[in-house]
Amino acid sequence: MKRRLIWTMLTLGVLATLVLSACAQATPEPTAVPTAPPTKAPTAVPTKVPTEAPPPTEVPLVQVVVWADELRSPVMNELGVTFATDYGVELVVQEMGFGDIRDQLAIAGPAGEGPDIIIGAHDWLGQLVANGLVAPIDLGAKEGEFLEAALTAFIYEGQLYGMPYATENVAFFCNPDIVETAPATWDEVTALAEQLEADSGGEVTAWTIQTNDPYHYFPVMTSFGGYVFGLTEAGYDPTDVGLDSEGSIAAATWLEGMVADGHLEPGVDYDVMHSLFEQGSVACIGTGPWALSRIRDSGVSYTINRYPDGGAGSGSPFLGVQGFMISAFSENQLLAQTVLTEIFATEEFMQAMYDADPRPAAFLPVRYAIEDPDLASFAFAGADGLPMPAIPEMSSVWTAWGNAVEFVITGQLSAEEAFTNAAEQVRTLISE
Amino acid sequence: MSQATLKARGITGPLAFFKNFLPRFALRLLGLALVDALAIWLLYFLIRDGVWPLAIVLVIVTLIANVINLTDRLYPLRWMSPAFVIIILLVLYPILFTVYTAFTNYSDGHLLTKIQTIRRIGQDQFLPEGGETVQWTGYRSESGEIVLWLTGEKGQTYLAHPNEPLQEAVSGEDGIGPLDESGVPTSIEGYVRMEVRDILPILDSVLAPLEFGEPPLTYKIKSIKEAAQLQPRYVYDEAVDAMVDQIDGTVYYADEKQGFFTSEEGKSLNPGYQVVVGLANFERLLNSPALRGPFIQVFIWTIVFAFFSVLTTFALGLFMALVLDDPILPARKLIRTFLILPYAIPGVIGILIWRGMLNQHLGVLTTNMVNLFGWAPGWFTDSLWSKVGILLVNLWLGYPYMMLICSGALQAIPRDIYEAADVDGASTWQRFWGITLPLLLVSVGPLLIASFTFNFNNFTVIYAYNEGRPPIPGTPTPAGYTDILISYTYRLAFESGRGAEHSYAAAITIVIFLVVATITLFQYRFMGRWEEISESV
Repeated sequence: MKRRLIWTMLTLGVLATLVLSACAQATPEPTAVPTAPPTKAPTAVPTKVPTEAPPPTEVPLVQVVVWADELRSPVMNELGVTFATDYGVELVVQEMGFGDIRDQLAIAGPAGEGPDIIIGAHDWLGQLVANGLVAPIDLGAKEGEFLEAALTAFIYEGQLYGMPYATENVAFFCNPDIVETAPATWDEVTALAEQLEADSGGEVTAWTIQTNDPYHYFPVMTSFGGYVFGLTEAGYDPTDVGLDSEGSIAAATWLEGMVADGHLEPGVDYDVMHSLFEQGSVACIGTGPWALSRIRDSGVSYTINRYPDGGAGSGSPFLGVQGFMISAFSENQLLAQTVLTEIFATEEFMQAMYDADPRPAAFLPVRYAIEDPDLASFAFAGADGLPMPAIPEMSSVWTAWGNAVEFVITGQLSAEEAFTNAAEQVRTLISE
Repeated sequence: MSQATLKARGITGPLAFFKNFLPRFALRLLGLALVDALAIWLLYFLIRDGVWPLAIVLVIVTLIANVINLTDRLYPLRWMSPAFVIIILLVLYPILFTVYTAFTNYSDGHLLTKIQTIRRIGQDQFLPEGGETVQWTGYRSESGEIVLWLTGEKGQTYLAHPNEPLQEAVSGEDGIGPLDESGVPTSIEGYVRMEVRDILPILDSVLAPLEFGEPPLTYKIKSIKEAAQLQPRYVYDEAVDAMVDQIDGTVYYADEKQGFFTSEEGKSLNPGYQVVVGLANFERLLNSPALRGPFIQVFIWTIVFAFFSVLTTFALGLFMALVLDDPILPARKLIRTFLILPYAIPGVIGILIWRGMLNQHLGVLTTNMVNLFGWAPGWFTDSLWSKVGILLVNLWLGYPYMMLICSGALQAIPRDIYEAADVDGASTWQRFWGITLPLLLVSVGPLLIASFTFNFNNFTVIYAYNEGRPPIPGTPTPAGYTDILISYTYRLAFESGRGAEHSYAAAITIVIFLVVATITLFQYRFMGRWEEISESV
């Protein structure tokens, strides 16, 4: 009995191997299967080339796997077709959700099944570098063709890790039917609020902001001289938390005043903020290029401006930069870098990317040629933008900071209490 | 397969053997072969990537599946074997892995294994002092040999063969053809100049590993245009288990407690690697500032939330079930279908709809309340009403389940008890409290406990509805009024320190499991009383 069992299992093993080999032959191109390591293909090349030295046209294609989100992947697929004939490179674009790219890279990269190139945001860098998932890149002479602030955003601990392609930042939207010229200072915003209150009986307010949203609040804070992490030459300093700095408290105190005078209500989220603006119930809001199509569709008139001044200059929004990074686990790192500098960093490619998903380009020839006045305004509003901190400590900040804004808007804590406590929370969490 | 078993199954004679047994046996073998093929295919990848624990589990699981399906004595288990495989792979393994992770430092900055980390840090390069960067053009012979034409920073030109010293070269000598406008020979005898189209496919596989010039300062290709005398920045020294910085000689020793290569001044190299850290994660949780401050408040709310979630859904579900049980009610099936709908719709969608309806400025419910009464609760800003709100949403999501199980359990109560009660002249209320509820609880009780446990850890509803908000003012770490234990600690593990800390999260999970297990145990003791009632009926 037992012997038969062993024999049967052995037979099964042979059968299984047969099935496997049949499968292997049935799929000569593992290219379509995302689980098959795409990096395997080139390793077969060296043994073949020296012995046969085929004429150039028969050199096998080499694959470059790119992970891109649904906005970018169709246009890359389209452009990729010509790469095969022009460069002998087959561009394999695998589509996944923007946020998933970061998470999946951490899993697939070390397993050797990851991409060569990813699309990502610069503020992922802290995490990606700490995890050893991305490789430094060298753009060579092409560096001069990119917006400097965008390049800086992709520098982490003195090394460049990405080739930027677009920037995004929030700007100050105002409705010219309510207020002819956009307020230039936050005091003017207060004055506008009082005047609108008197004129409309409280129906129309001057400005609103989401109740628990630090990202849109940042320009208010910077216009009063506040900051999140101190900026040094080496980058953001996680030991210098600025939520309770003089400027941050000053900004919160102004916000507190708006609340106390009844010009700002709690319970506002993204949709409420936009609905109020689109209905003409609020004169100004801060929002980004992602909301452009919705605001245009609503038919409300708008202007896009820099943030008002609170005493330390016009408010600097966070600058988010998107770009291409190279996986540290790619077996084609030189090729991936060449694809970036020689194929992607061209006007044709960058223009196509811009057309597919309009946002201010980081590639200067395309950025300067932006004809859409709205996007040009965004670029103008973001001229003083500060790169969103990419250091991992930033993850300790968002909740505490957002809560502080909420406490001031709901009146549960004074401006000073709220932001002093938030800074303490952040310090505790970082040291945790 | 022995003749006895065949007979037992009513198969006799050689004809029957061929007709019935052989195809079935062959089919089973084929099925097993497919399963084994899949397992071998997966094993290949697992072993290649060094994922040993999962590989071993996979081997064990496959062996079990084979033994069960090939041994006659284990015939009854045969149809269970897929379930065994799935339970081991999808339930048992993740649990064991979570427990293991809790004792490691697996987190952002420590995702890689030590070998991967050494390889990764070893990729860093630098240009040593006096090192040169040159422009290159590649040529290839018939037999695939590569030669480079290098142009230095000062305009000097070289011909470079792999692993040989560079030779200064000029046009017209050694078969070097005339130069084009950029100063590169158009041809070299015996070689063909490579264009971009020829270079790219072999750039990493053939060209990148080549070294030109005299060691140690060899030239290596660093981009499609440039080659440089790049040197590895860090070299792993096995003898002292350390990475040595080639620029200033700093030694970064492997710190097996922290999972970093650390210098004597305390500077660490990125990335770190995975190590087993023992009880460190649990110690950290015990000493965490988060366990002081709002913890008690969050813990009490967790129990209140779970208790009222069960109570309200059970009460409403039972009420509906009783109403629908009455044959007088017309269109019962239609009504029942409608009432089950909230259960059929994905929870997250239901939650989002409720968020919209309760929205303070735009929500249908809120605006109508304001119009009717001039007031509406602050569903998302008030500490008490936000709690009421989330219980309401959970009631909406949870009552259909209770209704379904109560409907079934009601059928199981013997009718003759009710008849006896009627004879005794019991009122409707007496019948409900004296017969229906106690007998129902006997069968539904364990499900209520399961429901409590589920809601104790109902992360989805809390996070999708309001992320535990509104925040509690003045706490040492951020916490919200509707935060339950799991959402509060999720933030601790993933929104603090240096990013996502999977090992810390695993430790927290284990502690929460112990808490829930203790509570459940007490509940079962309590339920024991209902058992007695059923026995005395």
